[in-house]
Amino acid sequence: MPSLKDLRNRISSVRSTKKITSAMKMVAAAKLKRAQDNAEKTRPYARKMSEIVNSLVENNKSKEFKFSEKKTKISRNILLIVCSADRGLCGGFNGSIIKFSKKLSEKIINDGGQVSYIFVGKKAYQSLQRFCGESVLDFFSDIANPSIKFELASSIRDKILELFLNDSMDECHLIYTEFKSAISQTVQSLKLLPLNALDTSDNNNSSKSYDFEPSEEEILNEIIPKNIAIQIHTALLENLASEQGSRMTAMDNATRNANDMIDNLTLFYNRSRQALITKELIEIISGAEAV
Amino acid sequence: MKQFKLEIISPNAIVFEKEIDLVILPGSEGDFGILKDHMPFLTSLRVGIVYIYLEKKIIETFLVTGGIVEVSQNRCSLLTEEVINTNSVSSKSKTEESSNKDEINLKRLKEKALEKLYYT
Repeated sequence: MPSLKDLRNRISSVRSTKKITSAMKMVAAAKLKRAQDNAEKTRPYARKMSEIVNSLVENNKSKEFKFSEKKTKISRNILLIVCSADRGLCGGFNGSIIKFSKKLSEKIINDGGQVSYIFVGKKAYQSLQRFCGESVLDFFSDIANPSIKFELASSIRDKILELFLNDSMDECHLIYTEFKSAISQTVQSLKLLPLNALDTSDNNNSSKSYDFEPSEEEILNEIIPKNIAIQIHTALLENLASEQGSRMTAMDNATRNANDMIDNLTLFYNRSRQALITKELIEIISGAEAV
Repeated sequence: MKQFKLEIISPNAIVFEKEIDLVILPGSEGDFGILKDHMPFLTSLRVGIVYIYLEKKIIETFLVTGGIVEVSQNRCSLLTEEVINTNSVSSKSKTEESSNKDEINLKRLKEKALEKLYYT
């Protein structure tokens, strides 16, 4: 049985841990608000952009253009862009991203493909470093300080377009966490390249035939890189919001657990104190009786 | 005059969303106007000014540095990365409570615009 001193120490250490977790929760809540606002502001732009690109690609099903699938190739080099957080203590956030990416890359390798990676955020990089070895192409960290810049997305975009156009990469997926609400986030993968039409053959009649200026091809070549950059940018923003949301819930749980623990320990402490006093009294009384 | 919907969307916000009569846009192949019941149309923009008309009057003007315009089913969407409402800038400088940031932005955009025009 632990002594009273031990119990007191234990209680005070849990108390100070609780202080830290509740402070972290407050900070995460404040950051979440900002990150969520930013993510929501970019959404209409990204949605409209991908709508336009999708309908364009739909119209272009038969033709082969600069960013379409290369039908001649068999071997597949696949690039994964893995977005994670820079810091831990955010519940299952990083863990689920890592698990998801690992699963996906194992599946690709089993299918006979090759995987290379670009990491955004330290956590996934650190734990997948050993797993992926030499195939890490690039690594970015500390992106959200003070805010996520559009330039980062553009530089990643330039990199993947270069790889795609000189044939060292055939497919590109973006792995990020979609922000649904402060308590629910899901890991998702988004295919950035190549573009091929979604299999929605039943609503063909709604596809619009556009008039293009200067020409369809030029528009496609201009709009697709733009679309990729904005998709990466929104993914990073969503990821940040998810990280903060996840951290907030995790820290909230931790604070609640600390409270429970303090309650239990205090109860136990009082009981043992009482037991000790009773024991001493019995000793004194029995001593007096013996005399 | 019959009206249609125009939306100007930038990565940071929906800048403009309203029913309007006519919009004049700086297309990469020349300026063009869009009225109601325009056919589906997709084009890129060059640097220039967007004029928005309602009841034969200009209600807003925006400076854009490029972008994409999509017109379909009486909806015109302008997607652009950089856009500035020129009304707000000029009225601010008139009242002399000029927010420097906007002016610098405008100056920078104008310089960029001139540079681009010079090269094309």
